[in-house]
Amino acid sequence: MKALALAIVALVGGLLISATVDFPDWGDPASPAALHVSPRYIEKTMEDTSVPNIVTSVLADYRGFDTMFETTVVFTAGVACFLLLRRREPRPGPSRVYRHRASGVIVEMSQAPDTEPAPEVFKRIDDDWTPHDLIVMNVCRLLIPFIQLFGLYVIAHGHHSPGGGFQGGVILGASVILLALSWDLRTASLRMREVATGLMSAIGVFIYAGVGALALAMGGNFLDYAALAPILMVDPVAARSLGIFFVEVGVGLAVMATMVLIYKNLASEGRLDQGL
Amino acid sequence: MSEQYPALVVIGPLLCALLVSVAGWLRPRLCLPFALLGLGISAAASTGLLAQVLTSGPVTYRLGGWAPPWGIVYQVDNLNAVVAALVSWVALFNLAASYRAVMTDYPEKIGPFYTLYVLAVTGMLGMVVTGDAFNLYVLLEITSLTGYALIGLGGGRAPLASLNYLFLGTIGASFYLLGVGYLYIVTGSLNMADLAKLLTPLYGSLALLAAFAITLVGLWMKMAFFPLHAWLPNAYGFAPSPAASLLAPLMTKVMVYVMIRVMISVFTVEFILQEVALSQFVVWLAVAAMVAGALLALGQRDLKRMLAYIVVAEVGYMVGGAWLGNKLAMTGAILHIINDAVMTFCVFLAAGCIYQKTRGTAFEDLQGLFKKMPWTMTALAAGALAMIGVPPFCGFFSKWYLIRGGLEAGHWGFVIALLFSSLVNVVLFFRIFEIAFFEPMSHGHGGHEGHGEHGGAVALAEAPLSMLLPLMAAALGLVALGLATGPLVEKIILPIIPAGLG
Repeated sequence: MKALALAIVALVGGLLISATVDFPDWGDPASPAALHVSPRYIEKTMEDTSVPNIVTSVLADYRGFDTMFETTVVFTAGVACFLLLRRREPRPGPSRVYRHRASGVIVEMSQAPDTEPAPEVFKRIDDDWTPHDLIVMNVCRLLIPFIQLFGLYVIAHGHHSPGGGFQGGVILGASVILLALSWDLRTASLRMREVATGLMSAIGVFIYAGVGALALAMGGNFLDYAALAPILMVDPVAARSLGIFFVEVGVGLAVMATMVLIYKNLASEGRLDQGL
Repeated sequence: MSEQYPALVVIGPLLCALLVSVAGWLRPRLCLPFALLGLGISAAASTGLLAQVLTSGPVTYRLGGWAPPWGIVYQVDNLNAVVAALVSWVALFNLAASYRAVMTDYPEKIGPFYTLYVLAVTGMLGMVVTGDAFNLYVLLEITSLTGYALIGLGGGRAPLASLNYLFLGTIGASFYLLGVGYLYIVTGSLNMADLAKLLTPLYGSLALLAAFAITLVGLWMKMAFFPLHAWLPNAYGFAPSPAASLLAPLMTKVMVYVMIRVMISVFTVEFILQEVALSQFVVWLAVAAMVAGALLALGQRDLKRMLAYIVVAEVGYMVGGAWLGNKLAMTGAILHIINDAVMTFCVFLAAGCIYQKTRGTAFEDLQGLFKKMPWTMTALAAGALAMIGVPPFCGFFSKWYLIRGGLEAGHWGFVIALLFSSLVNVVLFFRIFEIAFFEPMSHGHGGHEGHGEHGGAVALAEAPLSMLLPLMAAALGLVALGLATGPLVEKIILPIIPAGLG
């Protein structure tokens, strides 16, 4: 069976590689891909959408419909993780671990206490006795606002430089995950609750599809941002540029929230109480 | 408004899926109404679209207002319009039937469940109406991802079955993407109509052949065409019943539609019949699918798994019909997409009703069911007769076209395999009826130990009305579709059969 599988892999690989002889040369300026649709994007982007970054205009306008569904794919992945992983019943075993803040002594309670010990004296930590590292915790706490600011910049600056909603959203999401890694999952959950992640991922995609539907309601085709010109009170080309910005914000929101949602469920086996 | 139908078919359910998700967090009670609204919009819009296409010809819809090949277009002719209407109506009926099952099994997760359900339908509809090869891939991703999650939610070995499906499905989708990538390298276009034009001068190129082969194998993997079917029986057998009765009827059928679309609208039949010349080989594969599906179904001791293997055989009918290379067989294949979706829906929904009451679909659980659930079993019988191919149920007519196509092509293997698999269906279903009709109720299910010795005192324990009504509608639909075969073929299918077919 293994030999058969190897033979099939070799055969398919051989076919695919031998087919490449008919391909245009590497970087050939006369290749069909360079001559057919690309020239229009390169020459007309500024005129059509007033977005200097051609990649952004192709992604969010010419082929914006694909990008909307790519955002939906991200959202779907988050919902799928939630559906399969999230468990409401508590972790088996009643033991809880606390760190005495002043002395650093770790106390393991074999039974869950009736009342939580005072949080300013005893800090609850994960079962695996996460080490206490002052430097890591404080450096990360200082870094996180700057990371988030940079994330916002990347989202907003997608029109002019590499970036946009996906990249900015990932940076924003990573900032929350950094908090969960350097502190713990409970702290991160306090800053961004489960309901917030769930709602934001749906609302992010809704912003994208909603801008498209608004264009439809204004008499244009779906996602034809130019139709938004009357309500934005700008000319159609500027409306396209603004429309791209709105959907990028939606993408950023959806990607950030979905990343946090997936991380929380994966790290805590769906219980959202502790993990990594 | 009517010019916006193509967009509404897909956008309605997408927006509503997001509303369902929000409602799932805030007001779970509103999940089902939003889901019904979304699929209702797409059902209404796709029906309107079908009427529009039939009266005034194919419709092109430019998304974002951009002309092809620069932007993405929806290109709707008779074929997509009828498949879109089929998908949205079947999904809507199944949704209406799903409520009780979801509330019993996943009361805490109705939000995410319905979100993924509606997104799965969005993906299928998007694949059906699109005229862009890459856009199709994106929607395929959505449908696959939602499918993995919905299947993995089932009990028992469902997570493992879903993981298997995920591996094979991902390979299949990647193959399709690779094929589209090859096409883009040699043409620079992703628009289907544009591709068809640009590919003509490239006939004979190895890159084109490789692109065709890899696209096709990818699609076969997603539709579980023998011998790439290994993921299907477990996935559909273990899936929660509302998900099984959504995915089993629609997913494979949509993929067969995509295959036919790629064959006739991207590569064109001239290319396939003259340049590829693999028709004989593929039809023999289809023969193997029919025979293997039928034989493997015989070995099952569980209703759902048995039905899953029948799906494998049915895929063989449609792929074989599409590759026989004549008009009759292609008509049969397209007609069978429609008929098979409704009959698979009917039998899987009946299995879902049975599961709802007996909490199992193994053959032992079916004892005495004709007394206990007469309506459900009647519908199952209707579905069975359609699958066997008894007139006036719809299965007969598509099989009739397929057999005539096989005879015209002189392919005896196909004709014999089709008859063989129909005969095996007779055995399969009558075995079920024997158990459900003649074997006494097994004790311990209803707690009727005191009486019921002669089976006469078995209490009626029919599935809830919300499940029975859609099931009855599906069963009646089988007859209605059968009686409507004439106009269906004349008005809808024949005009789109490519002239290149013999």
